[in-house]
Amino acid sequence: MTNLPDRTVGIGLRQPHYREVFERTPALGFLEVHSENFFLDGGASMHALERARAAYPISLHGVGLSLGSADALAQVHLAKLKRLVDRVEPTLISEHLSWGSLGARHFNDLLPMPHTREVLALLSERVDRVQTVLNRSILIENVSAYVAYRDDDMTETALLAELARRTGCGILLDINNLYVNAVNFGFDPVARLAELSPDAIGEMHLAGHTAADGCLIDTHGTRVCAEVWALFEEACRRFGPKPTLIEWDTDLPTLDVLLDEAATASSIAHRSTIEVSHA
Amino acid sequence: MPELLDLQHDMAGALQDAGTVSRTERWLSGDAGLIEQRLAIYRANVTAAATKALAAAYPVIQQVVGDEFFDGLARAYQRLMPSTSGDLYDYGATFAGFVAEFPHTQSLPYLPDLARLEWAVHRAYGAEDAPAWDRQALAQIEPTQQAAVRFVWATGTAIGESSFPIARIWLIHQSGFDGEFSVDWSVRESALVAREGFRVVVRALDACDAAFIASSLAGAALGPSAERALAADPGFDLGQLLGRLVASNVICGFNTDKDE
Repeated sequence: MTNLPDRTVGIGLRQPHYREVFERTPALGFLEVHSENFFLDGGASMHALERARAAYPISLHGVGLSLGSADALAQVHLAKLKRLVDRVEPTLISEHLSWGSLGARHFNDLLPMPHTREVLALLSERVDRVQTVLNRSILIENVSAYVAYRDDDMTETALLAELARRTGCGILLDINNLYVNAVNFGFDPVARLAELSPDAIGEMHLAGHTAADGCLIDTHGTRVCAEVWALFEEACRRFGPKPTLIEWDTDLPTLDVLLDEAATASSIAHRSTIEVSHA
Repeated sequence: MPELLDLQHDMAGALQDAGTVSRTERWLSGDAGLIEQRLAIYRANVTAAATKALAAAYPVIQQVVGDEFFDGLARAYQRLMPSTSGDLYDYGATFAGFVAEFPHTQSLPYLPDLARLEWAVHRAYGAEDAPAWDRQALAQIEPTQQAAVRFVWATGTAIGESSFPIARIWLIHQSGFDGEFSVDWSVRESALVAREGFRVVVRALDACDAAFIASSLAGAALGPSAERALAADPGFDLGQLLGRLVASNVICGFNTDKDE
């Protein structure tokens, strides 16, 4: 168990880092990519993913399935994901607690869901269908939000916990998203951790955000801030070490910066696990 | 899902048209000012995602018109032709038609041809890898059968036809291009777009080579395709063209009518 934390931290693999990652093969537990960037028939991107797969476990993180669209589940999109899953045999597959399309229109964004019993029923049915098609369980991630709905019946974390209980899916707990929402809507993020059972957490995400107009925006373009590291430490104490990802999508830094963030995550996870085992 | 459907319908409306934000007030917390301020963040995200996807497919047009103008072009295109897929690799298929009609790009008449060329490059990038095949079999075809040969082309292969020096324009805007940054506007050029290994190449074509490839790509046999090429230019050199296309695996197989 002692070296587990080192092996569980991964980074998001983005194109500008392909060559360096393949040449250096840094010690990482896994690499995560956006599923939609690899819905291709062939070519350079698919070849790069195959190289990555030969050296690391791969986590497929989807951003376009729009699980929460009230009208329909996107069958074509799901079929493309299924083809990729069969090709890559990923260690993890994840999507978001969100919607992004209605009718023919796709916003290509992660729009928040209301947290109601109606939505819980819809998402339970959708996650069931996705897991049936893929023939394995997936992880569902909490999202950053800039608007909140008036008539919520429960918190997002309580909804995720119940969704996991009903469908057997896991939870991808994005610590930065939880923190961003805690600030944007004024709640205690630690109390939200208490709504989640350790067994349900399949992965954690860490990322940076920016502040604008009295609101935190989830930009994935900076280092993880001190408050998010502290919340991550609290989550590790409660849930134990889980596969943890450094996510960075805009203003990409050098690979070394990502590896430095990954090392910080690893040492925090390690430290908090030791604290728990000595408690 | 009647309630959720209504909610998403109102939200979707407000993301496309700020004039309808008031319809979301029954669903969202906060006053009208806060709601509009927060929805504006999403609206900016939606525009940024589509613009980024369009720029990924049309990097040369972005360089030709400049970032700021391209952003405006992308916004205008998005209003008319919003994304319909969670897979943004599909976004922008109709951009050539759009720039052909757009009033503020009429001073760049080659832009629609350049857009068609870039879309072909974009699709070739993710096309299926060409299979290995038995090249010797092609050399062993009986002379009497040769005219009936139909070639199998690597997925993603395309011809960009133009009245402008379109391949040259594309080439001088590639990163790493270190030749002279000049264009001879008197040249009419067709371009071959093809995958050579994992690399997408764009090559200027003679009229006869373009005629042959276009005909063969459309499914015609070698005989009639060569006749079209010779009609375009009596100096057409079939052996030399086939040698290049077979060596680069852009032609990656063949059928004879006997096989069918």
